[in-house]
Amino acid sequence: MTTPLSSVKNLRPALTLLGLGLGAGLAGCQTDIAEPTTAVSGNASFTRYIAIGNSLTAGYADNGLYLEGQQNSYPSMLAQQFAQAGGGAFNQPLFTTAQASGSGYLRLVSITAAGPVTATVPGSAGRISPTSAPYTKYLSQVDNLGVPGIRMADIQTANYGNVQQASPSAATFNPYFERITPDGSNQSYFQRVKAEAATASFFSFWLGNNDVLGYATSGGSAQNASNTNLATPPPNTITRTDSFNTKATRMINALTANGAKGVISNIPDVTGIPFFTTVGPVLKATLTSRSVPGLVILTGGNPGAAATGNRKQITTSDIRDASGGRQLFTLTSSPFVSLIGQPTGRPWKFIYSQTGLPAAGFGSYLAAFAIDTTKQFGASADNPIPSAFVLDDVEQGLVATATTAYNTSLLNIATAKGLAFFDANQYFRTVATSGIASNAVNNNAAFITGNLFSLDGVHPTPRGYALVANEIIRAINARYGATVRPLDANRYRGVLLP
Amino acid sequence: MQVKSILLAGGTLLAASSAAQASGFQVGLSGQKNVGMGGTGTGLFLDHAAQFYNPGSFVFVQGNGIQGGLNLAIPRISFRADGGGAQETLQNKNVFPFNGYAGFGITEKFKVGVGVYTPFGSELHYGSGWTGRYALTDINLRSVFAQATASYAITPKLGIGAGLVVLAYGDVDLQRDVPLQAQSGGQFHAQLTGKAERKLGYNVGILYKPSDMFSIGASYRSAVDAQVKGGNITLTNRPASAASSFTATNFDVTLPLPDVYNLGVGIHPTEKLTIALDANLVRWSRYQSLDFSYTGGVLGGAGVTSSSSTRRYQDALAFRLGAQYKVGNNLTLRGGAFYDNSCVRDGYVTPETPDADRVGLTAGFTYAVGEHFGIDGSFLYESFMQRSQSQADLIANGTTDRVAGTYKTTISVPGVGVYFKF
Repeated sequence: MTTPLSSVKNLRPALTLLGLGLGAGLAGCQTDIAEPTTAVSGNASFTRYIAIGNSLTAGYADNGLYLEGQQNSYPSMLAQQFAQAGGGAFNQPLFTTAQASGSGYLRLVSITAAGPVTATVPGSAGRISPTSAPYTKYLSQVDNLGVPGIRMADIQTANYGNVQQASPSAATFNPYFERITPDGSNQSYFQRVKAEAATASFFSFWLGNNDVLGYATSGGSAQNASNTNLATPPPNTITRTDSFNTKATRMINALTANGAKGVISNIPDVTGIPFFTTVGPVLKATLTSRSVPGLVILTGGNPGAAATGNRKQITTSDIRDASGGRQLFTLTSSPFVSLIGQPTGRPWKFIYSQTGLPAAGFGSYLAAFAIDTTKQFGASADNPIPSAFVLDDVEQGLVATATTAYNTSLLNIATAKGLAFFDANQYFRTVATSGIASNAVNNNAAFITGNLFSLDGVHPTPRGYALVANEIIRAINARYGATVRPLDANRYRGVLLP
Repeated sequence: MQVKSILLAGGTLLAASSAAQASGFQVGLSGQKNVGMGGTGTGLFLDHAAQFYNPGSFVFVQGNGIQGGLNLAIPRISFRADGGGAQETLQNKNVFPFNGYAGFGITEKFKVGVGVYTPFGSELHYGSGWTGRYALTDINLRSVFAQATASYAITPKLGIGAGLVVLAYGDVDLQRDVPLQAQSGGQFHAQLTGKAERKLGYNVGILYKPSDMFSIGASYRSAVDAQVKGGNITLTNRPASAASSFTATNFDVTLPLPDVYNLGVGIHPTEKLTIALDANLVRWSRYQSLDFSYTGGVLGGAGVTSSSSTRRYQDALAFRLGAQYKVGNNLTLRGGAFYDNSCVRDGYVTPETPDADRVGLTAGFTYAVGEHFGIDGSFLYESFMQRSQSQADLIANGTTDRVAGTYKTTISVPGVGVYFKF
């Protein structure tokens, strides 16, 4: 047996060999995955990108337009990805930090057993109606031309951003367009877009949602919903499809006049959004548990007593939930459905306050609809559920018909012009039925918890907008042979919980 | 209002590579001499680690002995999200698989031994805020097995043996971000920790050596279910409004560990040269899904007391080749290579086991310091094929609880061992 000392000596070559092994191991460098193909614009050019659209394009969320929403608008996200493929600067009419709350918006206060509780963060940037103080003007270059509230029907309305016009109303004047229009200008939205299109190389176009959305979210309660006024149809009515087609064609002709490429998005099915899917299922369960067979609702917008046929009986089982049914209750009905069965005038006070008419007229308003607030709300034909709280099956039919016609029109235009096309209708259908996963997160159309829809139940969250941006990018890449990269949607927030 | 079905469902968990050889989270570092020879060891006998590789060959290992080995596994893993973006790398964490054996000859024909080794394990720490953080941020899976072995030579040419194997110690620590965002800004995070139950298994083997120049062996190692009962759930930064949806305090989970069939040959063309060939069939198809059940409340919404995540592993084959050459009286050099098929199907790759087909190269030596004492050194380098999966793949497979993108892994494992013979 060798002595311990000689053992150590003999060990030396072994340790040297071992040292070599360790050295090689520790020096092992980080693995590398080659960068995927460089982002290129293909047949398109993103030198100057402009975005045409409504609230969705402006970045509207939580029932308001405010700085954070603007910063997370889908056109802003697109521009950021375009920048890796030769895209230029993209200017948005951002509210200043001092006016960051913009028009004001909803925030989530708490989630109680009865449901989510929201509160309004007051606006700091100006008017939301023609009679209140104006927004601080933003007259620098604007590439995001998204104007909340605008309909396809409105694009050729002169003085659309000019409060000096004869009698400004919601149908003829838009305070968000006023914000980006010089004082006294009688410019229409179409004229503004045409002027901007002269120097644009690429555009996105997502307009027409409000031509049916206003009607839907007001529960089809506008009087004379099937209007005949082509130039300026009243608010909350459905725009005629021939008028829609003419105006959409005119706009796309102007946008493509200088050879610009672009992407058109179509109109989603509004009945899948949380605004319509949140209240009904809970109400249905409550009524079922109390064995209430059905409700009386007012339908349409025409005044008159029950004899005029403006009341409608709906059964509890016909309220839509996961198991079936057709009738949809709006998110605005949420504070009032608990009053069903009680004698109350509160829902009607709310409805009347929304009209903006002087308070003194409330009595005659009730009389016009033959409402008796001493009767049981929702159970008696004398105190029915207001039309504005329910988008009933007939009204949904009108919405669906118009949406289909608009989408046919948009698809035909996109095909004729060889433009990229994002089928938002199909996309939001998928979202409503099966959700959409983003990097191990299961997003869906549920209110608050689904990540995709903001607190107004209509407009997306930043996460929702990011996923929309990814779909638009996919459409652009497919049409123009571009390789614009998608976004990591999880980097954008859903609803922030208290 | 309950916050519905927010993940933890589709959980993640248990498992990952980090240590070398053999697909999935199997660690093939159970004997330093074997490591140097590409992980072979079924068709021949090198030292007392034969208890692990083939208890049937153990009886032919000369004399009594005790030995121990320690490895330093240095993984390097990169990830690039589907569609591009910056490359993400892990906070590389080294792990230390070890092994130790003692063997005693009772008679010429009968030998017993005990061993301890770490055949499964993984430790990965993804960077804070990485793309797949809602699937997994951290995993630390450890296991220590102990074995008692008896081996008997029916004839001088034929040996059989069996071992009683116990999962002596196991623990798991899994962490992920929960995809709910709080107004306060803190990231909601879940951590699941627990210790595995003791479980028994066995291995058996047979070795036939018709001549001094050739031997052939087969061995089998039984499956063991690593089971955690009553592990702890720790939630941090839980938004107040989601509190009622995340009340569970404990969890149970079972991780099926595969059984393994081995077949190998040993060739001795000259007195100084040994060549070994091995094939392994690892029966990972036992691992079809990872199912958690939660107790003490719900986890992810009203009524959510369990989660299931698809694994759908497949059986995996590995082929190994190794050689050793006796350079002088004291020094033996080794080399080897292997090819290991992945047990994870395309579109099923999870962050806790970013598995892929692998090739490995090994080298090793033994330096004998006299008759009774020696030192083993080994080095293993393993390269995983770069592997990608798209979001479309995940949707098609129903595996959207993980992340789309490309993984690339390499592992370096230097190791050292000592032995005493008496």
